[in-house]
Amino acid sequence: MPHESILLVEDDPADVRLIQRAFNKLNSDVTVHRLSNGDDAIAYLAGDSPYDNRAAYPMPSVVLLDIKLPRRSGFEVLEWVRRQASAVRRLPVVMLTSSKFPADINRAYDLGVNSYLAKPQTPSELDQLASEFRLYWLNLNEDPDLHGGPSQRVLL
Amino acid sequence: MPNSLSSTHRNSKQNLRSEDIFRHLISSVTDYAIFVLDPKGNIASWNSGAELLKGYKADEIIGKHLSIFYTAPDLAIDKPGYELRIASEVGRFEDEGWRLRKDGSRFWASVVITRLLDDEGQLLGFGKITRDLTERRASELRHKLLIEGVLDYAIYFMDVNGNVGSWNLGAERLKGYRADEIIGQHFSKFYSVDDRATGLPQQVLKTAEAEGHFEGEGWRYRKDGTRFWASVVVTPLRDEEGTLYGYCKITRDLTERRKLLESLQQHSEELELQVREREQINAELEAFAYSVSHDLRAPLRAIAGFADILKEDYGSQLNAEANDYLGEITGAAARMNSMIQDLMEYGRVARIDIPFAPIQLLSAVDRALVQIERPPDSTLQVEVAPDLTVCAHSVVLVQVIVNLLSNAFKFSQPEGHCEVCVTAEADDKHVRLSVRDNGIGIAPQYRERIWNVFERLHDRDTFAGSGIGLAIVKRAVARMNGSCGLESEVGQGSTFWVQLERVATKGEGKE
Repeated sequence: MPHESILLVEDDPADVRLIQRAFNKLNSDVTVHRLSNGDDAIAYLAGDSPYDNRAAYPMPSVVLLDIKLPRRSGFEVLEWVRRQASAVRRLPVVMLTSSKFPADINRAYDLGVNSYLAKPQTPSELDQLASEFRLYWLNLNEDPDLHGGPSQRVLL
Repeated sequence: MPNSLSSTHRNSKQNLRSEDIFRHLISSVTDYAIFVLDPKGNIASWNSGAELLKGYKADEIIGKHLSIFYTAPDLAIDKPGYELRIASEVGRFEDEGWRLRKDGSRFWASVVITRLLDDEGQLLGFGKITRDLTERRASELRHKLLIEGVLDYAIYFMDVNGNVGSWNLGAERLKGYRADEIIGQHFSKFYSVDDRATGLPQQVLKTAEAEGHFEGEGWRYRKDGTRFWASVVVTPLRDEEGTLYGYCKITRDLTERRKLLESLQQHSEELELQVREREQINAELEAFAYSVSHDLRAPLRAIAGFADILKEDYGSQLNAEANDYLGEITGAAARMNSMIQDLMEYGRVARIDIPFAPIQLLSAVDRALVQIERPPDSTLQVEVAPDLTVCAHSVVLVQVIVNLLSNAFKFSQPEGHCEVCVTAEADDKHVRLSVRDNGIGIAPQYRERIWNVFERLHDRDTFAGSGIGLAIVKRAVARMNGSCGLESEVGQGSTFWVQLERVATKGEGKE
């Protein structure tokens, strides 16, 4: 299995620790790169400095995106991803948020999110989520090609 | 019959014949008294109209002087002599006035006296035509008095050009002009300078003439320059042939009513604004409460999460006391989480649209029973007829029943068997669901307060809970157009009930 990485965009340090702990407990070679705001997430995905070294900052297989983020919200990051002319727009994005507002859920899907998950209340529920998330998104799910240049299909 | 006229015109056979016809005509006319006077005023002829009107027969009256018909005051000023003199000088005299009948009663006479001259211009006498206008005068007088006496309406007549022709007391009172000041003036005087400049008064007359009616409201001006809000009706006046000869105008002062209407309108606008502001504030508060409770859960999740991890990863290395403290943290976090969850639910019940549907009450009770935890030594009795259907939102209704049931099981006697009974009774329009327990009961002074948010009657060691359950019940039931209440006796138990609108079921009446 090739090395897989997840980009976690989450500003709450406690949540970050809990999520990272849950993924660490899986004893797999999954790397979780963590960013704390929307601007950094876009810079990372665009390969802008300081994230221009793809060896150190690889293109993730999937993004775990919070909605309430400093500077730029999860919605704006998602919009930016889907708007790209490059293959980055195919990137699987999964919301991981404490919001269960129907308005938030619908908006995320309208913007083209691939899945929407609510943050679990307890560490054991989170462990289960991490395990099933890895199984689904990193093992079962077929990855799109994220490294191609601008494709023929142009999104208007 | 002596007749000084007849001899002068008897020239030909033809004349004679037409004169005969003419005489017959006159003598048979009954609506007019027509007779001839000699130059001195003595009566020389008498027709049947005269007999009917004045009561004299021809042989009684011929030869008598005209003054026999006049009242004493008229005789005192020699009115008969005056009338004949004018008629002989001018050729004609017209008058209206009281005259007397044979029986002494009076009538209102319209009189025309015409001078009769021969071919040489010598006075032969007078022709007199009298008509009884008593009735018409009375009715005219009544109308005149009626119009003149009306104080609340200005009623006046205008000629075709809009010049004022009459003026009643109401007009004087309303507009401040006396009759002699305004009669003959154009009615545009009552309009503002601007209205006059744009030709509004002329437009009013034109509209009235074209449409047979003009009705409007607007500012009009009094003699002293002050204005009033006038309601105006203008009606064109036409004679029998349809020719316009003037207008009647009725004006009413609606200033007070307008003020009242304006202040009413202002009031209702202010009220509406207040309601809108309050609704907005409420909506903002709800959104704020939701967002705060939502955000509060994040650090709580961390507290509970790390406490769990600590216990899981290091529990074995900690002594009993440390483990106990960890348990306190976990327990407090769980309580706070359920409080926040209940708060959010409470806010949600107020905020969400609740679509109503017919719901079988018994199935809602069953779904609620699945969700609650019953103490092991409790008994539960459900007596709800399966045909009872209420108008409600199913999730909200189940939540209401869950809250009532969990309260019933929670507030049981410290020792003893917990018994809860769920019953339903209905009339045509409503269904009342009651949850009765044999618990600790509620003292009368607390029965209002317990429906409030975070209202608790007991410390947490005795009874757990967020203190929001009944507040949710109250709000949810109100949203479903229902009501709720309780009966209770301390030490005996409580009965909480909710009442909802009943929906008639199909099988009803057959079972």
